[in-house]
Amino acid sequence: MNNTLHIAGREYSDNARTKGFWINLLMFPVILFASVKVPQLLEEKAKPTRHFVLVDQSGELGGVVDGGLDRHYQRELFRKLSEYLQTYMVTPEGEEKAKGPNMADMLEKMPADAFQMDMSGDMTQGLLDMLDDYDPAMMAALGNPDALDAMLDFMKPNLKEGAPDFEAPRRMLARAELPAADWGEIDPMTASKDDIVAHMKPFLLDKQKFSDHKDPLFALVIIPADALQCLKGIGKPMIDPTEAPKLGVQFWSTNLTDKDLAQVIEGALNREVQERELFARGLDGNEVSAAQSTKMLFASFDPKKAIGEEVVSMADTIRKWAPVGFVYLMWVAIFTVVNMLLNNTVEEKSNRIIEVLLSSATPWEIMSGKLIGIAGVGLTMMVAWIFSLLGVLKFMAGPSVEWAGVLFEVIQSSGLLPLFALYFFCGYMTYAGLFLAIGSLCSTVKEAQNFMGTATIILMVPLFTMVFVTMDPHGSLATFLTWVPLYTPFVMMNRAAADPPMFDLVGTGILMLVTVIVMLWLSSRIFRIGVLRTGQPPKILELIRSITTPLKHQ
Amino acid sequence: MSDYEYAVELKNLTKRYGDFTAVKDVSLQVPRGTIYGFLGPNGAGKTTTLRMILDIVKPTSGSLSVLGAPSAMDVRERIGYLPEEKGLYKKMKTWAVIAYFARLKGVGRKDAKQRAYELLERYGLKDFSDKKVETLSKGMGQKVQVLASIAHQPEFVILDEPFSGLDPSNQQVMEDVISDLSKAGSTIVFSTHVMSHAERICDRMLLIAKAEKIFDGTIPEAKALIPKMVNLSGVDDPSKLRSLPGVTSAESADGLPGSFEVCMDDDADPQQLLRDCFRDDIELTSFNYHEPTLHDVFLHLVGEDAKVASFR
Repeated sequence: MNNTLHIAGREYSDNARTKGFWINLLMFPVILFASVKVPQLLEEKAKPTRHFVLVDQSGELGGVVDGGLDRHYQRELFRKLSEYLQTYMVTPEGEEKAKGPNMADMLEKMPADAFQMDMSGDMTQGLLDMLDDYDPAMMAALGNPDALDAMLDFMKPNLKEGAPDFEAPRRMLARAELPAADWGEIDPMTASKDDIVAHMKPFLLDKQKFSDHKDPLFALVIIPADALQCLKGIGKPMIDPTEAPKLGVQFWSTNLTDKDLAQVIEGALNREVQERELFARGLDGNEVSAAQSTKMLFASFDPKKAIGEEVVSMADTIRKWAPVGFVYLMWVAIFTVVNMLLNNTVEEKSNRIIEVLLSSATPWEIMSGKLIGIAGVGLTMMVAWIFSLLGVLKFMAGPSVEWAGVLFEVIQSSGLLPLFALYFFCGYMTYAGLFLAIGSLCSTVKEAQNFMGTATIILMVPLFTMVFVTMDPHGSLATFLTWVPLYTPFVMMNRAAADPPMFDLVGTGILMLVTVIVMLWLSSRIFRIGVLRTGQPPKILELIRSITTPLKHQ
Repeated sequence: MSDYEYAVELKNLTKRYGDFTAVKDVSLQVPRGTIYGFLGPNGAGKTTTLRMILDIVKPTSGSLSVLGAPSAMDVRERIGYLPEEKGLYKKMKTWAVIAYFARLKGVGRKDAKQRAYELLERYGLKDFSDKKVETLSKGMGQKVQVLASIAHQPEFVILDEPFSGLDPSNQQVMEDVISDLSKAGSTIVFSTHVMSHAERICDRMLLIAKAEKIFDGTIPEAKALIPKMVNLSGVDDPSKLRSLPGVTSAESADGLPGSFEVCMDDDADPQQLLRDCFRDDIELTSFNYHEPTLHDVFLHLVGEDAKVASFR
């Protein structure tokens, strides 16, 4: 027993002291943090303002495009503002922290004229909905710098100490005027599309700059004179699909993957023609919007839940998908550590340390020491990950905290943790036994890797099927995989949140325990024989023979 | 410490791997406190025998006892073992490796660390105590491994080819280690195919070839097995030589003209042979009598197979 612990201790410190292990541990929060923050930062700081030239031959749609750009900016401003307030608002005392600032309170305390809107009466709730829906009127109000300042002044006393000033985002999309000198002989208002494009190509390809502008040109938008006549829709004349691109509005850009600008312009124009269409048909646009905003009340219920709590909430969705996170965590942790186990075993075998070990401890002690030591490495890794996840979430604060709060509450209350512990244990033991046996049969790391190639493909299955199993936790795929011993721990973890039938729960529990026992017995046999073998790994038949014959005949 | 007469006692020990017989019907007694050499060409079955003594490999038939116990596993804390192929955990510190193996043999944490440092200092590796094993040279690594196998002060030490891969000065250190252990009262069994080491340090030896025991006993007993031999050169008439009293044979040696290897009766006196040569006017340019070496014994007992093996 003592030897088991010595061996476990050495395995643990040997693996936990490597640089790779710590890099692995640190990479997780770093990548997590970076994957959230870096794209955001790039978007904010590094992405250049998209300048475009608009040639509006119709003479009446230019304003529509500008309006669309304004709304786009206001939406961005609003998003930033709401993020800013949620991060720096003082949480009213006595309220749960996870819920964040109370928007209704905030609006109630706001002076009615701040938004130059009627704030009296029961408007608070309405405003809250507007905020949720990005109501255009609300956003337009914020677009007015005075209203924004008034609101920020008003909020100041409610902000945490040391909160930075609100920084309005910059405009990412901007319309640029091509100076008359750059147009040369072309009159953009009358020239054909082909001529305009031919003339603008050097600018678009960044071979030529505006004469008084250093930014490169991102896009060229041409609205032809007859744009309003070239419409499609029900009741409109048919247009030859091959001709269509030549007829309507054209968007020219070398970067067609960044769709923001194109979408904003297209959206604004469509909105305009739709309003005109309504008008032409004698309909009131506001009436139509109001009609369209009418919705039936619709809620989802889960009959398995207690009476009065059947409504499917965000917590339920998280609960449903949390096992996927667990499966992934389990998979990564198990395969990281069993690989260590494999490498250590092959190392000990290839430099014959194993002989000294065998003269000091029984094979069983060596094996169990290794299993325990490496399990410790795995646990360290998972604990570190969970803490760093908490740390990152705390550091990032903002709206994600609310989400995280629900997540932890769900995980705590759902009973998934004990199941996770059980399935992790069984999965780890099964795979550790398997890899230990493989390691004991291979004389070099290279040989072991040949085995690993095949093994990895088989082991990927629980990852590939993770999402399908969650969506249909009692379907035939899920049920089938549940009873494949190598996959049982993963698939059962995956199904855990969907309350699998008692038969499956108990049956697989027994199956897993039997698997673990058989696996460990087999691998202890193979280990005994394997570690002293030299040369090529044995053929399957040889292996079976060596498992079944007594040791003295080997 | 239990009472036993023989550190190791083997009775008709046989090990077969399928159709291949690695050790065949070997019986042996290693008296307590001796330095016992296992000699034999490569593949003779030395390592397999040692592994069976250690209970790493189970014998197919036969029985054995180690320090009075039926299995080395029962007394493993009193046994030290250095395997034939040497290797250590590369990433561990030198002292920690020694301490680790000592701990596995039941030495307490503090003692293990202290002994590791003491041993490293005694055998000239003090500066490397806190370095990682991978920074050591091959010879140093091997020394460390020897120290790791004896740090728990075992009463019985098994060393499989302890001299292989060591330069002459480190071979000397190895011999010192063995004699230090012996002075401390340990029984030592080691295997080698280098006869000179065995000759210098063994009390008794086992000679094994093709899985079978050929001889076991003391070095003088081994040497007594082969006839006295005198090398003569410049001999003009071998027939006269052969007729001298006490001479059993005179074979042309090394293919050189006039060189002969003369075998004599056990009780014959080489001095008398020289006098007889002068008396009979047998022409000689050199007369060379020496005690037979273990190498001669080895060649004599193992025959042609050994020549091939000992050339390695």
